[in-house]
Amino acid sequence: MTASSRPRDSADRIYFTLVALIGGALMIYFALVPVFGLNVAFHFYLMLWITMASAFNVSSGFSGYLPFGYVAFYGIGAFTTAILVKKVAFPVFLALPFSGAAGLVLALLFAPTLRLSGIYFGIVSLALAGICRLVITNMPEEITGGSFGLQLGSRAHPVQSFYVMMAVMVVALATILWLSRSRLGKALRATRDDADAAEMMGVNVPRVRLYGWMLAAFFPAVCGGVEAWYTNVVDTETAFNTLITAKTVIYAVAGGLGTVTGPIIGAVAMVWLDELIWRQFPLLNLLILGVATVALVLFLPRGIVGSILRRKPQWRRYVP
Amino acid sequence: MELLILNGIVNGLIVGSVYALVGVSLTLLYGVLRVVNFAHGEFVIAGSFFAYVLFTSLNVPPLLALPVATVAFFVAGWGLYYVLIPRLSRSDDPELMSFLMFYGVSITAAALMLLLFEADSRSIDYSFTPISVQVGPIYVSTARLVALAITAAISAALALFLFRTLPGKALRAAIMNPEAIQIVGVDIVRLSAFAFALATALAGVTGVLVALVFPAFNAFSGTEYTIIAFIVVVLGGLGNPVGALLAGVIFGLAEQMATVFLPQAMAQIVGFAILVGTIFLRPSGLLGTSTRK
Repeated sequence: MTASSRPRDSADRIYFTLVALIGGALMIYFALVPVFGLNVAFHFYLMLWITMASAFNVSSGFSGYLPFGYVAFYGIGAFTTAILVKKVAFPVFLALPFSGAAGLVLALLFAPTLRLSGIYFGIVSLALAGICRLVITNMPEEITGGSFGLQLGSRAHPVQSFYVMMAVMVVALATILWLSRSRLGKALRATRDDADAAEMMGVNVPRVRLYGWMLAAFFPAVCGGVEAWYTNVVDTETAFNTLITAKTVIYAVAGGLGTVTGPIIGAVAMVWLDELIWRQFPLLNLLILGVATVALVLFLPRGIVGSILRRKPQWRRYVP
Repeated sequence: MELLILNGIVNGLIVGSVYALVGVSLTLLYGVLRVVNFAHGEFVIAGSFFAYVLFTSLNVPPLLALPVATVAFFVAGWGLYYVLIPRLSRSDDPELMSFLMFYGVSITAAALMLLLFEADSRSIDYSFTPISVQVGPIYVSTARLVALAITAAISAALALFLFRTLPGKALRAAIMNPEAIQIVGVDIVRLSAFAFALATALAGVTGVLVALVFPAFNAFSGTEYTIIAFIVVVLGGLGNPVGALLAGVIFGLAEQMATVFLPQAMAQIVGFAILVGTIFLRPSGLLGTSTRK
């Protein structure tokens, strides 16, 4: 018994050392960005995409659902913060938790869609995001600001919102790290691979799916709120833009679904690439995003981390 | 009010016939290849731009553009099949990954059209004489009536092809059971390439008709038609061509009626509501039970 548990312990030791090293390096790097006057906007969006892609991973990587209307949660979060700050005069810090709560409420409303699977789920999710956008567009102008959107006025504070975004990212990554080793995470994976078998083993399938779904919905909603604060303006065209879903999905898939590090590496690589291309050929940006997506699916369907782990399955124990 | 309703019915039939064509090509594609073409709307709009270019630079009228578009899109679809699908089918979950891949194709196609034609809305400045025809108490534009006649002809030809010819029967057989059809000796790769090319050609033709029926289109209109195609395909039952034809007309009527009775903004929600409602209440589609025999 002790002999068989020893390699497990040493594997865990390497695992946690890796987590601490990578996590620590990431945190120190991001914390120092405003101090050394690096590009705050670039790093803000890098953290935003890391959070979005990682949260998306809970739904697609752990639970096996591909929500192609993921932007709904982001948009609801953005509008919740904007409305509370602008119309009810909430301080931003108080409004952001409500954004998260709005994401959870929306997740509960959409919970019946978890009965569906595969492309049916994807198509319905897309349609529901469309409904959300239309409903908000058609709300009275006094609430949502109509087609002009809402301006938050003089509340912008890039450095403060940068650190709030960082806090959100750290909480999100810590949650997903916990999830990947927790009972819930194992139950989610088991349900994804074979729901009937998981149920036989005593997993409460609907509840486990709902928890995973709510986790996946909470973080994008908070991201939407923080981004609304950062840019100081919210409108339905940008807050419900399908490109937000596209980027989230592409970044997560580029890194590799199902691992904690995958979406992080995918987001870093792709955001950096995006910035590089954007600076060189601003017109080709959209085109290259599209071509990159096709190329990813065709040549790297398991993503960067997924492909490495397929070559070196023995590393699976050490890589978060 | 009665005039409005009558107008809604006539326009619903016309718009619905175009939706039916958009849907039937997407459903063929799904049925045979089990891929979800998210870029279908972009293919349609590419057809509209195709007619636009033929008309503005070579002065080819839209009716003459139809056969040209059929051939051009058929060849393009055939080529695209061999670029995209064989590699895709090697991935872990081709059906779901196809959604993502065609999402990329859709972004690529929209970006290409944006680079070529910029973001302005375009329309083909072509009109028939007379511009409109009186149908009972209402006036309908001739272009729309011509489009209705063409979609009816194409649908009839398609039905004839699917039910009376050998390749058409092979396509339907492939939808029902892709394994069995290979045992009988059908080359499934060639058949799939043919289905992809046929669906693309139909999308291109539909695009030319879209340019006739709808006032304008731009590089980003594609997504709208993709959503419409999804609604029609789901309502008609995934992979059911006859269902898609019927569903297209029903959705066209529902949409036009919604614009008569509901405020403008609510009318758009009707489509999404139909989509979500169908998947929950009748996931096999309108004709679902009859195909399950």
